[in-house]
Amino acid sequence: MVVVKTKIGEYLVKEDLLYTDTDEWVKVVGDSVIVGITDYAQKKLKHVVSVELPETGREVRKGEVIATLESVKAIADIYTPVDGTIVEVNEELPSSPDLINKDPYGSGWIAKIKLSGTFPKLLTPDEYVKFIEKREGVS
Amino acid sequence: MRSVPLIELHRSFRGNLGEFGGWLTSLDFGDPVGEHVSVRTSVAFFDVSHMGRFIIRGSRVVEFLQRVVSRDISKVPEGSMSGPVLLLNEGGGMIDDVMLYHVKKDLWYAVVNAPNIDKDLSWLNKWRNELGYTDIEIENVTEKSVLIAIQGPKALEVMESLGVGSVGKLKILQFLTDVELLGDRAVLISRSGWTGEEVRSHGYEVWCSVELGAKLFKKLVELGIRPAGLIARDSLRLEAGYLLSGVDFDENTSPVEARYWMAFDAEKTGYVGSEAVRKKYVEGVDRIRVGLRFKKDQRFVPRHGDPVLIGEKEVGYVTSGTFSNYLGRAIAMAYVNTRHAYLGGTVHVKSRNRLFEAKIVEPPFIAG
Repeated sequence: MVVVKTKIGEYLVKEDLLYTDTDEWVKVVGDSVIVGITDYAQKKLKHVVSVELPETGREVRKGEVIATLESVKAIADIYTPVDGTIVEVNEELPSSPDLINKDPYGSGWIAKIKLSGTFPKLLTPDEYVKFIEKREGVS
Repeated sequence: MRSVPLIELHRSFRGNLGEFGGWLTSLDFGDPVGEHVSVRTSVAFFDVSHMGRFIIRGSRVVEFLQRVVSRDISKVPEGSMSGPVLLLNEGGGMIDDVMLYHVKKDLWYAVVNAPNIDKDLSWLNKWRNELGYTDIEIENVTEKSVLIAIQGPKALEVMESLGVGSVGKLKILQFLTDVELLGDRAVLISRSGWTGEEVRSHGYEVWCSVELGAKLFKKLVELGIRPAGLIARDSLRLEAGYLLSGVDFDENTSPVEARYWMAFDAEKTGYVGSEAVRKKYVEGVDRIRVGLRFKKDQRFVPRHGDPVLIGEKEVGYVTSGTFSNYLGRAIAMAYVNTRHAYLGGTVHVKSRNRLFEAKIVEPPFIAG
């Protein structure tokens, strides 16, 4: 785990994941990926109060909105970083949306997507750290 | 953007920083919901130094204030705060709600809302000059001082641990000045806090130098008291039914529409805006502020501007809302057409194209 210290706060970036420039994390598991939002994203959103999840079986294309989070601060759309089919969603989230705040990289995961197209280019942990630093300024 | 004087301490205690009213301060310390719950069930502290602080001096201070604020403050005794009073424009619209402190005959303090510091200062100076009170001096000490609010049912225990158990004798809105604290002296300590003292009277605010403020911040953390940020403060004030300047009212809102009874007196005359307010009061208003209490199973956050509906008909709009984890439901403040402001009646709020059912209620949302 890397701690990114910026002018306005500290954010954790896990070293064994890939990232998007819309603040999702991506974990590759066999022929599927698990998607969630990063610690940076949950800290920006603050307390999440509701989560809308996609139907399983839905075919999605890279960049499509697959979930919507509503927090005390804002409403955030979550985008799929890959083409594929939604094979599983985190059923705990609608009743316990704060899992996203408590454990964004673990029990706060959002959806599992079985890949169909080619695997896209994603940000490495290092690149994502730089991306946050660029946005917020280094402390 | 200005930073609160203790911003480096906020950083070192892992405050998640953000902007409010032109100030950089902590929006939370990692757990806004937990911070809120601590204030309701135990204790937490806020650095509210972004709030503006003015010192008003002169032999005719009371006379001057009587000409510019919306309530009769001549009866506020020494050592007591006024409760919120309003600065109004000549059209009777609300510029700000401010808290006045009667320190002694020739010396009053004021605490004003962060986004309005410059506006309030120039407005006060303008009327000081126009009304011929140029002997009165108004000094902005916001960046030279610190205001720390210790809030929650265990607040007095904390004050005792700090060696200032003497504040236990204060009634709501009373304060002590020049109080010995942590080997230094605080300007004042008041029993107040804006998290619900009208309904649940627990909380103290310490106004002190930046140096003492830093010492106090560290000491509180050392005592195991958690710091809390502005997100928790906003949800607490909303539960308590307090209005937020710039969000629940602005210069286009009359205090009559806002039903801001605790902050103005429709009978008082002779202050800036009083005639316009009186006129509104007599003529009647088209919209009034109400509370909306949503059903328990609806997880969402009512947003500023969300329409309030009865059937298909739009009858009002939300000005602020939150999902209160403490109450397990969403709550909001809204302005509703007077003809449809049925207390106890059911309405719907449209948020992101979905409808959420609510009852029109009288704030506060928490019981005493």
